Amino acid sequence: MSQHPRHSAMLSISTSNSNLANAGADKQQPSQNVSTPTQSSSPGLRVPSNRKTIYDRHLNRSRTAELSRASFAFLFSEMVTYAQRRVTGIQDLEKRLNEQGYPLGLRLLDLLFYRTMSSSTSSSLSSSSTSSSPPNRPLRILPLLHLIHGPLWRLLFQRSADALEHSVSPETPNEYMITDNDPLVNTYISVPREMSMLNCAAFVAGIIEGVCDGCGFEAKVSAHNQPTEMWPGRTVFLLRFGDSVMEREKVLERAGVR
Amino acid sequence: MVVYSFYIFDRHAECIYKRRWLPRPTSISGKASRPTSEIPSSSNGVPPVFGQSDRTTDDDAKLIFGTVFSLRNMVRKLGGEDDSFVSYNTSQYKLHYYETPTNIKFVMLTDVKSPSMRVALQQIYINLFVEYGVLDSYPR
Amino acid sequence: MSTTKASRIGEELWKTRVDKINAELVTLTYGTIVAQLCQDYDSDYNEVNKQLDKMGYNIGMRLIEDFLAKSNVGRCANFRETADMIAKVGFKIFLNISPTVTNWTSDNNQFSLIFEENPLADFVELPDDGRAQDELWFSNIFCGVLRGALEMVQMQIEAHFVSDVLRGDDTTEMRVSLVRYIEDEMPPEEE
Repeated sequence: MSQHPRHSAMLSISTSNSNLANAGADKQQPSQNVSTPTQSSSPGLRVPSNRKTIYDRHLNRSRTAELSRASFAFLFSEMVTYAQRRVTGIQDLEKRLNEQGYPLGLRLLDLLFYRTMSSSTSSSLSSSSTSSSPPNRPLRILPLLHLIHGPLWRLLFQRSADALEHSVSPETPNEYMITDNDPLVNTYISVPREMSMLNCAAFVAGIIEGVCDGCGFEAKVSAHNQPTEMWPGRTVFLLRFGDSVMEREKVLERAGVR
Repeated sequence: MVVYSFYIFDRHAECIYKRRWLPRPTSISGKASRPTSEIPSSSNGVPPVFGQSDRTTDDDAKLIFGTVFSLRNMVRKLGGEDDSFVSYNTSQYKLHYYETPTNIKFVMLTDVKSPSMRVALQQIYINLFVEYGVLDSYPR
Repeated sequence: MSTTKASRIGEELWKTRVDKINAELVTLTYGTIVAQLCQDYDSDYNEVNKQLDKMGYNIGMRLIEDFLAKSNVGRCANFRETADMIAKVGFKIFLNISPTVTNWTSDNNQFSLIFEENPLADFVELPDDGRAQDELWFSNIFCGVLRGALEMVQMQIEAHFVSDVLRGDDTTEMRVSLVRYIEDEMPPEEE
Protein backbone atom coordinates (compact mmCIF):
# COMPACT_ATOMS: atom_id res chain seq x y z
CA MET A 1 0.00 0.00 0.00
CA SER A 2 1.51 3.24 -1.03
CA GLN A 3 1.69 6.15 1.27
CA HIS A 4 -0.83 8.73 0.27
CA PRO A 5 0.39 12.26 0.93
CA ARG A 6 -2.72 13.14 2.93
CA HIS A 7 -2.28 9.99 4.87
CA SER A 8 0.88 11.16 6.49
CA ALA A 9 -0.34 14.71 6.79
CA MET A 10 -3.43 13.70 8.66
CA LEU A 11 -2.23 10.79 10.66
CA SER A 12 1.07 11.58 11.95
CA ILE A 13 1.38 14.31 14.43
CA SER A 14 4.52 12.74 15.60
CA THR A 15 7.74 13.68 13.95
CA SER A 16 9.10 10.18 13.76
CA ASN A 17 8.56 7.82 10.85
CA SER A 18 4.93 7.26 10.09
CA ASN A 19 5.05 3.95 8.39
CA LEU A 20 1.61 3.07 9.56
CA ALA A 21 -0.15 1.02 6.98
CA ASN A 22 1.92 -2.04 6.49
CA ALA A 23 -0.59 -3.42 4.05
CA GLY A 24 -2.42 -5.18 6.83
CA ALA A 25 -0.63 -8.35 5.87
CA ASP A 26 1.23 -8.89 9.08
CA LYS A 27 -0.33 -8.76 12.48
CA GLN A 28 0.47 -5.16 13.02
CA GLN A 29 -2.26 -3.21 14.70
CA PRO A 30 -3.73 -0.43 12.69
CA SER A 31 -3.29 1.84 15.62
CA GLN A 32 -4.99 5.14 15.53
CA ASN A 33 -4.21 8.78 15.12
CA VAL A 34 -1.68 10.18 17.49
CA SER A 35 0.65 7.32 16.98
CA THR A 36 3.22 5.96 14.65
CA PRO A 37 3.10 2.41 15.78
CA THR A 38 5.96 0.63 14.20
CA GLN A 39 7.29 -1.87 16.64
CA SER A 40 10.73 -0.40 16.23
CA SER A 41 9.64 2.98 17.53
CA SER A 42 8.10 1.71 20.73
CA PRO A 43 11.25 1.29 22.82
CA GLY A 44 11.10 5.06 23.21
CA LEU A 45 7.71 4.84 24.86
CA ARG A 46 7.14 3.75 28.41
CA VAL A 47 4.73 0.85 28.77
CA PRO A 48 2.80 -0.23 31.84
CA SER A 49 4.27 -3.21 33.69
CA ASN A 50 1.03 -5.11 33.15
CA ARG A 51 1.64 -4.70 29.41
CA LYS A 52 -1.71 -3.15 28.71
CA THR A 53 -0.64 -1.85 25.34
CA ILE A 54 -2.21 -2.00 21.93
CA TYR A 55 0.23 -4.76 21.01
CA ASP A 56 -0.93 -7.01 23.80
CA ARG A 57 -4.65 -6.71 23.35
CA HIS A 58 -6.55 -8.50 20.66
CA LEU A 59 -7.63 -6.37 17.77
CA ASN A 60 -11.03 -8.01 17.67
CA ARG A 61 -11.65 -7.20 21.30
CA SER A 62 -13.82 -4.24 20.40
CA ARG A 63 -15.36 -5.87 17.37
CA THR A 64 -18.79 -6.30 18.86
CA ALA A 65 -18.40 -3.68 21.58
CA GLU A 66 -21.05 -1.02 21.80
CA LEU A 67 -21.27 2.45 23.26
CA SER A 68 -24.19 4.78 23.58
CA ARG A 69 -25.30 6.64 20.52
CA ALA A 70 -25.54 9.77 22.62
CA SER A 71 -21.80 9.69 23.33
CA PHE A 72 -21.15 9.68 19.63
CA ALA A 73 -23.63 12.51 19.12
CA PHE A 74 -21.90 14.60 21.79
CA LEU A 75 -18.43 14.01 20.37
CA PHE A 76 -19.54 14.60 16.82
CA SER A 77 -21.25 17.80 17.83
CA GLU A 78 -18.08 19.05 19.49
CA MET A 79 -16.16 18.14 16.37
CA VAL A 80 -18.55 20.17 14.23
CA THR A 81 -18.51 23.07 16.67
CA TYR A 82 -14.75 23.12 16.79
CA ALA A 83 -14.44 22.87 13.03
CA GLN A 84 -16.97 25.65 12.56
CA ARG A 85 -14.94 28.09 14.62
CA ARG A 86 -12.03 27.73 12.24
CA VAL A 87 -13.70 27.96 8.88
CA THR A 88 -15.47 30.41 6.66
CA GLY A 89 -18.56 29.07 4.98
CA ILE A 90 -20.24 25.79 4.39
CA GLN A 91 -17.82 24.39 1.83
CA ASP A 92 -14.91 25.02 4.09
CA LEU A 93 -16.66 23.32 6.98
CA GLU A 94 -17.52 20.30 4.88
CA LYS A 95 -13.95 20.12 3.66
CA ARG A 96 -12.71 20.08 7.20
CA LEU A 97 -15.17 17.39 8.31
CA ASN A 98 -14.15 15.38 5.27
CA GLU A 99 -10.50 15.69 6.29
CA GLN A 100 -11.30 14.45 9.76
CA GLY A 101 -13.07 11.39 8.38
CA TYR A 102 -10.32 10.55 5.94
CA PRO A 103 -7.81 8.94 8.37
CA LEU A 104 -10.65 6.87 9.82
CA GLY A 105 -11.27 5.41 6.39
CA LEU A 106 -7.65 4.33 6.06
CA ARG A 107 -7.73 2.56 9.41
CA LEU A 108 -11.13 1.02 8.98
CA LEU A 109 -9.91 -0.45 5.72
CA ASP A 110 -7.10 -2.27 7.49
CA LEU A 111 -9.54 -3.41 10.10
CA LEU A 112 -11.98 -4.68 7.48
CA PHE A 113 -9.28 -6.63 5.64
CA TYR A 114 -7.90 -8.04 8.81
CA ARG A 115 -11.31 -9.25 9.87
CA THR A 116 -12.57 -10.59 6.59
CA MET A 117 -9.25 -12.38 6.28
CA SER A 118 -9.22 -13.95 9.70
CA SER A 119 -12.83 -15.01 9.49
CA SER A 120 -12.63 -16.58 6.04
CA THR A 121 -9.55 -18.62 6.79
CA SER A 122 -9.15 -19.41 10.41
CA SER A 123 -5.40 -19.80 10.31
CA SER A 124 -4.51 -17.52 7.47
CA LEU A 125 -1.69 -15.99 9.43
CA SER A 126 0.08 -19.22 10.19
CA SER A 127 3.18 -19.83 8.16
CA SER A 128 2.05 -23.06 6.55
CA SER A 129 -1.17 -21.83 5.07
CA THR A 130 -0.15 -21.57 1.46
CA SER A 131 -3.64 -22.46 0.34
CA SER A 132 -5.36 -19.69 2.20
CA SER A 133 -7.04 -17.19 -0.03
CA PRO A 134 -5.45 -13.76 -0.10
CA PRO A 135 -7.41 -10.91 1.40
CA ASN A 136 -9.86 -9.86 -1.21
CA ARG A 137 -8.64 -6.38 -1.85
CA PRO A 138 -10.82 -4.93 -4.57
CA LEU A 139 -9.06 -4.37 -7.87
CA ARG A 140 -12.01 -3.01 -9.76
CA ILE A 141 -14.41 -0.20 -8.92
CA LEU A 142 -17.48 -2.35 -8.45
CA PRO A 143 -16.07 -4.66 -5.77
CA LEU A 144 -14.73 -1.59 -4.00
CA LEU A 145 -18.17 -0.01 -4.01
CA HIS A 146 -19.70 -3.21 -2.68
CA LEU A 147 -17.11 -3.25 0.08
CA ILE A 148 -18.20 0.26 1.08
CA HIS A 149 -21.92 -0.28 0.62
CA GLY A 150 -21.87 -3.55 2.59
CA PRO A 151 -19.07 -4.41 5.03
CA LEU A 152 -17.90 -0.86 5.76
CA TRP A 153 -21.43 0.39 6.38
CA ARG A 154 -22.19 -2.63 8.56
CA LEU A 155 -19.05 -2.11 10.60
CA LEU A 156 -19.91 1.53 11.19
CA PHE A 157 -23.67 1.59 11.28
CA GLN A 158 -24.80 -2.03 11.73
CA ARG A 159 -26.59 -2.07 8.41
CA SER A 160 -25.85 -1.80 4.70
CA ALA A 161 -26.24 1.44 2.80
CA ASP A 162 -29.56 1.85 1.02
CA ALA A 163 -28.55 2.19 -2.62
CA LEU A 164 -25.64 2.05 -4.98
CA GLU A 165 -25.87 3.66 -8.39
CA HIS A 166 -23.74 4.53 -11.38
CA SER A 167 -24.07 7.89 -13.06
CA VAL A 168 -26.35 7.61 -16.08
CA SER A 169 -24.72 10.55 -17.81
CA PRO A 170 -22.21 9.59 -20.52
CA GLU A 171 -20.28 12.72 -19.52
CA THR A 172 -19.49 11.37 -16.10
CA PRO A 173 -18.82 7.65 -16.22
CA ASN A 174 -16.48 8.11 -13.25
CA GLU A 175 -19.32 9.09 -10.89
CA TYR A 176 -21.03 6.70 -8.51
CA MET A 177 -23.60 7.30 -5.81
CA ILE A 178 -24.08 5.58 -2.48
CA THR A 179 -27.29 6.51 -0.68
CA ASP A 180 -28.08 6.43 3.00
CA ASN A 181 -31.74 7.20 3.73
CA ASP A 182 -31.07 8.26 7.29
CA PRO A 183 -27.39 8.77 8.13
CA LEU A 184 -26.67 7.87 11.72
CA VAL A 185 -24.17 10.68 12.14
CA ASN A 186 -26.92 13.21 11.44
CA THR A 187 -29.40 11.74 13.92
CA TYR A 188 -29.00 14.57 16.37
CA ILE A 189 -27.96 17.29 13.95
CA SER A 190 -30.61 19.78 12.96
CA VAL A 191 -29.06 22.25 10.63
CA PRO A 192 -30.58 25.75 10.64
CA ARG A 193 -32.55 26.68 7.57
CA GLU A 194 -30.06 29.23 6.32
CA MET A 195 -27.43 26.48 6.27
CA SER A 196 -29.63 23.99 4.46
CA MET A 197 -26.86 23.14 2.02
CA LEU A 198 -24.68 21.81 4.79
CA ASN A 199 -24.51 18.11 5.35
CA CYS A 200 -22.38 17.01 8.29
CA ALA A 201 -22.19 13.54 6.81
CA ALA A 202 -19.23 15.11 4.97
CA PHE A 203 -17.40 13.34 7.77
CA VAL A 204 -18.61 10.00 6.40
CA ALA A 205 -17.69 11.15 2.89
CA GLY A 206 -14.17 11.59 4.23
CA ILE A 207 -14.22 8.07 5.62
CA ILE A 208 -15.25 6.73 2.21
CA GLU A 209 -12.53 8.75 0.57
CA GLY A 210 -9.99 7.24 2.96
CA VAL A 211 -11.16 3.74 2.12
CA CYS A 212 -10.94 4.43 -1.62
CA ASP A 213 -7.49 5.96 -1.38
CA GLY A 214 -6.32 3.20 0.89
CA CYS A 215 -7.30 0.68 -1.77
CA GLY A 216 -5.48 2.64 -4.43
CA PHE A 217 -8.56 4.27 -5.95
CA GLU A 218 -7.99 7.98 -6.06
CA ALA A 219 -11.37 9.61 -5.52
CA LYS A 220 -13.21 12.70 -4.33
CA VAL A 221 -16.25 12.01 -2.20
CA SER A 222 -18.89 14.48 -1.11
CA ALA A 223 -22.19 14.30 0.79
CA HIS A 224 -25.38 15.86 -0.57
CA ASN A 225 -28.86 16.35 0.82
CA GLN A 226 -31.46 14.62 -1.31
CA PRO A 227 -34.51 14.56 0.91
CA THR A 228 -37.64 12.70 -0.02
CA GLU A 229 -40.99 12.90 1.69
CA MET A 230 -40.36 9.66 3.48
CA TRP A 231 -36.67 10.28 4.20
CA PRO A 232 -36.06 13.94 5.06
CA GLY A 233 -32.44 13.21 5.94
CA ARG A 234 -31.64 11.20 2.83
CA THR A 235 -28.03 11.70 1.86
CA VAL A 236 -26.25 10.82 -1.35
CA PHE A 237 -22.51 10.27 -1.27
CA LEU A 238 -21.08 11.17 -4.63
CA LEU A 239 -17.85 9.35 -5.50
CA ARG A 240 -15.81 10.77 -8.37
CA PHE A 241 -12.90 8.58 -9.34
CA GLY A 242 -9.76 10.08 -10.82
CA ASP A 243 -8.61 9.64 -14.43
CA SER A 244 -5.87 7.21 -13.49
CA VAL A 245 -8.46 4.93 -11.91
CA MET A 246 -10.65 5.06 -14.99
CA GLU A 247 -7.67 4.30 -17.24
CA ARG A 248 -6.76 1.32 -15.11
CA GLU A 249 -10.35 0.08 -15.20
CA LYS A 250 -10.12 -0.15 -18.99
CA VAL A 251 -6.87 -2.11 -18.84
CA LEU A 252 -8.20 -4.49 -16.22
CA GLU A 253 -11.43 -4.91 -18.14
CA ARG A 254 -9.46 -6.02 -21.21
CA ALA A 255 -7.33 -8.32 -19.07
CA GLY A 256 -10.46 -9.94 -17.72
CA VAL A 257 -9.79 -8.99 -14.11
CA ARG A 258 -12.89 -8.72 -12.02
CA MET B 1 -59.25 18.20 31.00
CA VAL B 2 -58.29 21.67 29.88
CA VAL B 3 -54.80 23.07 29.58
CA TYR B 4 -54.65 26.83 29.97
CA SER B 5 -50.97 27.47 29.63
CA PHE B 6 -47.50 25.98 29.76
CA TYR B 7 -44.10 27.41 30.67
CA ILE B 8 -40.49 26.20 30.78
CA PHE B 9 -37.85 28.07 32.79
CA ASP B 10 -34.16 27.35 32.46
CA ARG B 11 -31.62 27.30 35.26
CA HIS B 12 -30.97 31.00 34.87
CA ALA B 13 -34.58 31.68 35.77
CA GLU B 14 -35.32 32.66 32.21
CA CYS B 15 -38.59 31.70 30.57
CA ILE B 16 -37.47 29.74 27.51
CA TYR B 17 -40.88 28.59 26.39
CA LYS B 18 -44.40 29.81 26.96
CA ARG B 19 -47.70 29.02 25.40
CA ARG B 20 -51.22 30.05 26.29
CA TRP B 21 -54.33 28.46 24.95
CA LEU B 22 -56.94 31.08 25.49
CA PRO B 23 -59.85 32.16 23.43
CA ARG B 24 -59.19 35.53 21.93
CA PRO B 25 -61.58 37.79 20.07
CA THR B 26 -60.04 36.58 16.84
CA SER B 27 -59.71 33.05 17.98
CA ILE B 28 -56.33 31.49 17.41
CA SER B 29 -56.63 27.77 17.08
CA GLY B 30 -54.91 25.92 19.86
CA LYS B 31 -54.95 22.23 20.34
CA ALA B 32 -56.73 22.55 23.64
CA SER B 33 -59.08 25.44 23.19
CA ARG B 34 -61.20 25.75 26.24
CA PRO B 35 -64.79 24.61 26.11
CA THR B 36 -66.77 27.52 27.46
CA SER B 37 -69.19 25.33 29.37
CA GLU B 38 -66.59 24.56 32.01
CA ILE B 39 -65.85 28.12 32.93
CA PRO B 40 -67.10 29.25 36.26
CA SER B 41 -69.41 32.12 35.54
CA SER B 42 -68.06 34.30 38.28
CA SER B 43 -64.81 35.19 36.62
CA ASN B 44 -65.86 36.70 33.37
CA GLY B 45 -65.02 33.46 31.64
CA VAL B 46 -61.34 33.70 32.25
CA PRO B 47 -59.55 32.64 35.40
CA PRO B 48 -58.05 35.68 37.12
CA VAL B 49 -54.50 34.48 36.77
CA PHE B 50 -54.67 34.97 33.03
CA GLY B 51 -55.73 38.48 33.62
CA GLN B 52 -57.74 40.39 31.12
CA SER B 53 -55.69 43.40 32.09
CA ASP B 54 -52.78 44.82 30.16
CA ARG B 55 -50.43 42.38 31.71
CA THR B 56 -48.37 40.70 29.04
CA THR B 57 -47.37 37.06 28.86
CA ASP B 58 -43.92 38.20 29.94
CA ASP B 59 -45.36 39.52 33.16
CA ASP B 60 -47.28 36.29 33.63
CA ALA B 61 -44.12 34.28 33.20
CA LYS B 62 -42.34 36.41 35.80
CA LEU B 63 -45.20 36.09 38.23
CA ILE B 64 -45.35 32.36 37.78
CA PHE B 65 -41.61 31.95 38.18
CA GLY B 66 -41.66 33.97 41.37
CA THR B 67 -44.52 31.92 42.71
CA VAL B 68 -43.11 28.47 42.00
CA PHE B 69 -39.63 29.52 43.08
CA SER B 70 -40.88 30.68 46.46
CA LEU B 71 -43.19 27.72 46.89
CA ARG B 72 -40.56 25.17 46.12
CA ASN B 73 -38.16 26.86 48.56
CA MET B 74 -40.81 26.98 51.24
CA VAL B 75 -41.68 23.32 50.65
CA ARG B 76 -38.05 22.35 51.08
CA LYS B 77 -37.72 24.39 54.23
CA LEU B 78 -40.77 22.80 55.80
CA GLY B 79 -40.58 19.27 54.44
CA GLY B 80 -36.85 18.81 54.07
CA GLU B 81 -34.55 18.86 51.03
CA ASP B 82 -36.19 15.81 49.49
CA ASP B 83 -39.68 17.20 49.59
CA SER B 84 -40.94 18.67 46.38
CA PHE B 85 -43.73 20.94 45.43
CA VAL B 86 -46.09 19.21 43.03
CA SER B 87 -49.14 21.39 42.45
CA TYR B 88 -51.53 23.87 43.94
CA ASN B 89 -55.17 24.62 43.42
CA THR B 90 -57.10 27.80 43.38
CA SER B 91 -60.82 27.96 42.87
CA GLN B 92 -60.13 28.70 39.19
CA TYR B 93 -57.18 26.67 38.10
CA LYS B 94 -54.57 24.13 39.10
CA LEU B 95 -50.85 24.73 38.72
CA HIS B 96 -48.68 21.68 38.09
CA TYR B 97 -44.95 21.79 38.69
CA TYR B 98 -42.00 19.61 37.80
CA GLU B 99 -38.37 20.53 38.33
CA THR B 100 -35.36 18.54 37.13
CA PRO B 101 -32.22 18.18 39.25
CA THR B 102 -30.65 20.64 36.80
CA ASN B 103 -33.20 23.26 37.88
CA ILE B 104 -35.20 23.30 34.71
CA LYS B 105 -38.76 24.09 35.69
CA PHE B 106 -41.88 22.93 33.89
CA VAL B 107 -45.17 24.61 34.78
CA MET B 108 -48.62 23.80 33.48
CA LEU B 109 -51.92 25.45 34.34
CA THR B 110 -55.05 23.39 33.89
CA ASP B 111 -58.63 23.38 35.06
CA VAL B 112 -59.18 22.42 38.68
CA LYS B 113 -60.54 18.95 37.97
CA SER B 114 -57.46 17.83 36.07
CA PRO B 115 -55.58 14.84 37.46
CA SER B 116 -51.90 15.19 38.36
CA MET B 117 -49.81 16.23 35.37
CA ARG B 118 -46.50 15.43 37.01
CA VAL B 119 -45.86 12.39 34.84
CA ALA B 120 -46.85 14.30 31.73
CA LEU B 121 -44.43 17.10 32.59
CA GLN B 122 -41.70 14.56 33.22
CA GLN B 123 -42.40 12.94 29.87
CA ILE B 124 -42.22 16.32 28.18
CA TYR B 125 -38.78 16.72 29.72
CA ILE B 126 -37.56 13.24 28.78
CA ASN B 127 -39.07 12.73 25.38
CA LEU B 128 -39.25 16.23 23.98
CA PHE B 129 -36.94 18.59 25.83
CA VAL B 130 -33.97 16.24 25.99
CA GLU B 131 -34.56 14.39 22.74
CA TYR B 132 -35.09 17.43 20.55
CA GLY B 133 -33.59 20.24 22.57
CA VAL B 134 -30.58 18.96 24.41
CA LEU B 135 -29.40 16.29 22.02
CA ASP B 136 -29.64 18.55 19.01
CA SER B 137 -25.99 18.67 18.18
CA TYR B 138 -25.80 21.46 15.68
CA PRO B 139 -23.67 24.25 17.16
CA ARG B 140 -25.67 27.35 18.06
CA MET C 1 -28.11 4.53 47.77
CA SER C 2 -25.51 1.78 47.87
CA THR C 3 -22.83 1.11 45.28
CA THR C 4 -24.40 -2.21 44.35
CA LYS C 5 -27.77 -0.60 43.83
CA ALA C 6 -26.18 2.03 41.59
CA SER C 7 -24.47 -0.75 39.64
CA ARG C 8 -27.77 -2.52 39.19
CA ILE C 9 -29.45 0.62 37.94
CA GLY C 10 -26.59 1.20 35.52
CA GLU C 11 -26.73 -2.34 34.15
CA GLU C 12 -30.48 -2.20 33.77
CA LEU C 13 -30.44 1.16 31.99
CA TRP C 14 -27.66 0.06 29.66
CA LYS C 15 -29.70 -2.98 28.67
CA THR C 16 -33.06 -1.32 28.28
CA ARG C 17 -32.85 2.41 27.73
CA VAL C 18 -29.71 3.14 25.76
CA ASP C 19 -29.55 3.46 21.96
CA LYS C 20 -26.29 1.84 20.98
CA ILE C 21 -23.69 2.33 18.32
CA ASN C 22 -20.55 0.51 17.24
CA ALA C 23 -17.86 1.32 19.77
CA GLU C 24 -15.09 1.58 17.20
CA LEU C 25 -16.82 4.46 15.42
CA VAL C 26 -16.84 6.42 18.67
CA THR C 27 -13.28 5.45 19.57
CA LEU C 28 -11.91 6.41 16.20
CA THR C 29 -13.92 9.60 16.08
CA TYR C 30 -12.50 10.68 19.42
CA GLY C 31 -9.07 9.79 18.07
CA THR C 32 -9.44 12.12 15.11
CA ILE C 33 -10.57 14.90 17.43
CA VAL C 34 -7.43 14.58 19.56
CA ALA C 35 -5.23 14.23 16.48
CA GLN C 36 -6.79 17.34 14.97
CA LEU C 37 -6.15 19.31 18.15
CA CYS C 38 -2.55 18.14 18.31
CA GLN C 39 -2.11 19.27 14.73
CA ASP C 40 -3.86 22.62 15.18
CA TYR C 41 -1.93 23.43 18.34
CA ASP C 42 1.43 22.27 17.00
CA SER C 43 1.69 19.53 19.60
CA ASP C 44 1.40 22.02 22.45
CA TYR C 45 -0.03 19.28 24.65
CA ASN C 46 -0.93 21.55 27.55
CA GLU C 47 -3.13 23.50 25.20
CA VAL C 48 -4.59 20.26 23.80
CA ASN C 49 -5.44 19.16 27.36
CA LYS C 50 -7.17 22.50 27.88
CA GLN C 51 -9.16 22.23 24.66
CA LEU C 52 -10.25 18.68 25.47
CA ASP C 53 -11.38 19.81 28.90
CA LYS C 54 -13.34 22.64 27.33
CA MET C 55 -15.06 20.32 24.86
CA GLY C 56 -15.86 18.00 27.71
CA TYR C 57 -17.37 20.85 29.68
CA ASN C 58 -19.69 21.71 26.79
CA ILE C 59 -20.66 18.08 26.50
CA GLY C 60 -21.17 17.67 30.23
CA MET C 61 -23.62 20.55 30.44
CA ARG C 62 -25.89 18.77 27.94
CA LEU C 63 -25.06 15.19 28.80
CA ILE C 64 -26.41 15.62 32.33
CA GLU C 65 -29.90 16.19 30.93
CA ASP C 66 -29.72 13.02 28.89
CA PHE C 67 -28.41 11.23 31.94
CA LEU C 68 -31.28 12.43 34.11
CA ALA C 69 -33.87 11.74 31.45
CA LYS C 70 -32.66 8.17 31.02
CA SER C 71 -31.93 7.34 34.64
CA ASN C 72 -34.78 9.23 36.25
CA VAL C 73 -32.76 9.46 39.45
CA GLY C 74 -33.22 12.31 41.85
CA ARG C 75 -30.76 14.46 43.70
CA CYS C 76 -27.89 12.63 45.43
CA ALA C 77 -27.87 12.77 49.22
CA ASN C 78 -24.12 13.34 49.46
CA PHE C 79 -20.90 13.41 47.47
CA ARG C 80 -20.25 9.70 48.03
CA GLU C 81 -23.53 8.89 46.39
CA THR C 82 -22.65 11.28 43.57
CA ALA C 83 -19.40 9.39 43.00
CA ASP C 84 -21.24 6.07 42.69
CA MET C 85 -23.78 7.65 40.37
CA ILE C 86 -21.01 8.90 38.10
CA ALA C 87 -19.05 5.66 38.08
CA LYS C 88 -21.78 3.05 38.04
CA VAL C 89 -24.59 4.78 36.19
CA GLY C 90 -23.05 7.67 34.22
CA PHE C 91 -20.01 5.96 32.75
CA LYS C 92 -22.08 2.81 32.31
CA ILE C 93 -24.83 4.27 30.19
CA PHE C 94 -22.56 6.39 28.01
CA LEU C 95 -19.45 4.25 27.66
CA ASN C 96 -20.46 0.85 29.04
CA ILE C 97 -17.72 0.91 31.67
CA SER C 98 -17.82 1.18 35.46
CA PRO C 99 -14.64 2.71 36.85
CA THR C 100 -13.82 1.95 40.47
CA VAL C 101 -14.43 4.63 43.09
CA THR C 102 -11.66 4.69 45.66
CA ASN C 103 -9.08 6.71 47.63
CA TRP C 104 -11.56 8.88 49.51
CA THR C 105 -10.21 11.61 51.70
CA SER C 106 -11.47 11.58 55.27
CA ASP C 107 -13.70 14.60 54.70
CA ASN C 108 -15.46 12.73 51.86
CA ASN C 109 -14.73 15.54 49.45
CA GLN C 110 -12.18 13.85 47.18
CA PHE C 111 -12.09 10.51 45.44
CA SER C 112 -10.40 8.72 42.57
CA LEU C 113 -11.87 6.95 39.59
CA ILE C 114 -9.75 4.04 38.42
CA PHE C 115 -10.39 3.02 34.84
CA GLU C 116 -9.81 -0.65 34.08
CA GLU C 117 -11.20 -0.10 30.63
CA ASN C 118 -11.30 3.05 28.57
CA PRO C 119 -12.97 2.76 25.20
CA LEU C 120 -11.74 6.20 24.15
CA ALA C 121 -8.15 4.97 24.39
CA ASP C 122 -8.58 1.67 22.55
CA PHE C 123 -6.08 1.41 19.65
CA VAL C 124 -4.14 4.37 20.98
CA GLU C 125 -0.46 4.88 21.35
CA LEU C 126 0.85 8.34 22.15
CA PRO C 127 3.40 9.96 19.84
CA ASP C 128 6.94 8.93 20.55
CA ASP C 129 8.29 12.45 20.65
CA GLY C 130 9.66 12.44 24.16
CA ARG C 131 6.96 14.85 25.35
CA ALA C 132 3.50 13.40 24.79
CA GLN C 133 3.87 10.77 27.48
CA ASP C 134 4.77 13.50 29.97
CA GLU C 135 2.34 16.18 28.88
CA LEU C 136 -0.72 14.87 27.06
CA TRP C 137 -3.73 13.52 28.97
CA PHE C 138 -5.39 11.70 26.12
CA SER C 139 -8.75 11.23 27.86
CA ASN C 140 -8.84 14.71 29.39
CA ILE C 141 -12.28 15.25 27.89
CA PHE C 142 -13.65 13.18 30.81
CA CYS C 143 -12.55 15.85 33.30
CA GLY C 144 -14.51 18.50 31.45
CA VAL C 145 -17.56 16.28 31.13
CA LEU C 146 -17.69 15.73 34.88
CA ARG C 147 -17.12 19.41 35.59
CA GLY C 148 -19.88 20.51 33.21
CA ALA C 149 -22.36 17.85 34.24
CA LEU C 150 -21.95 18.37 37.97
CA GLU C 151 -22.09 22.14 37.68
CA MET C 152 -25.59 21.72 36.26
CA VAL C 153 -26.64 19.88 39.39
CA GLN C 154 -25.19 22.55 41.66
CA MET C 155 -21.78 21.08 42.35
CA GLN C 156 -18.56 22.84 41.53
CA ILE C 157 -15.82 20.27 41.20
CA GLU C 158 -12.24 20.00 40.05
CA ALA C 159 -11.05 16.95 38.13
CA HIS C 160 -7.72 15.90 36.67
CA PHE C 161 -5.89 12.77 35.67
CA VAL C 162 -3.02 11.62 37.84
CA SER C 163 -1.99 8.57 35.82
CA ASP C 164 -2.72 6.91 32.49
CA VAL C 165 -1.68 3.56 31.05
CA LEU C 166 -0.98 5.39 27.79
CA ARG C 167 1.82 7.17 29.65
CA GLY C 168 3.25 3.89 30.83
CA ASP C 169 1.54 4.01 34.24
CA ASP C 170 0.02 0.84 35.60
CA THR C 171 -3.38 2.40 36.12
CA THR C 172 -5.52 5.13 34.68
CA GLU C 173 -6.68 7.30 37.53
CA MET C 174 -8.67 10.50 37.73
CA ARG C 175 -8.89 12.62 40.86
CA VAL C 176 -12.17 14.41 41.57
CA SER C 177 -12.63 17.06 44.28
CA LEU C 178 -15.75 18.81 45.43
CA VAL C 179 -15.13 22.53 45.63
CA ARG C 180 -18.55 23.70 46.79
CA TYR C 181 -22.26 23.36 46.31
CA ILE C 182 -23.64 26.13 44.14
CA GLU C 183 -26.63 28.23 45.20
CA ASP C 184 -29.69 28.40 42.97
CA GLU C 185 -29.72 31.24 40.56
CA MET C 186 -32.23 33.87 41.52
CA PRO C 187 -34.43 35.59 39.02
CA PRO C 188 -33.05 38.97 38.00
CA GLU C 189 -34.29 41.82 40.20
CA GLU C 190 -37.27 43.70 38.94
CA GLU C 191 -36.41 47.10 37.64
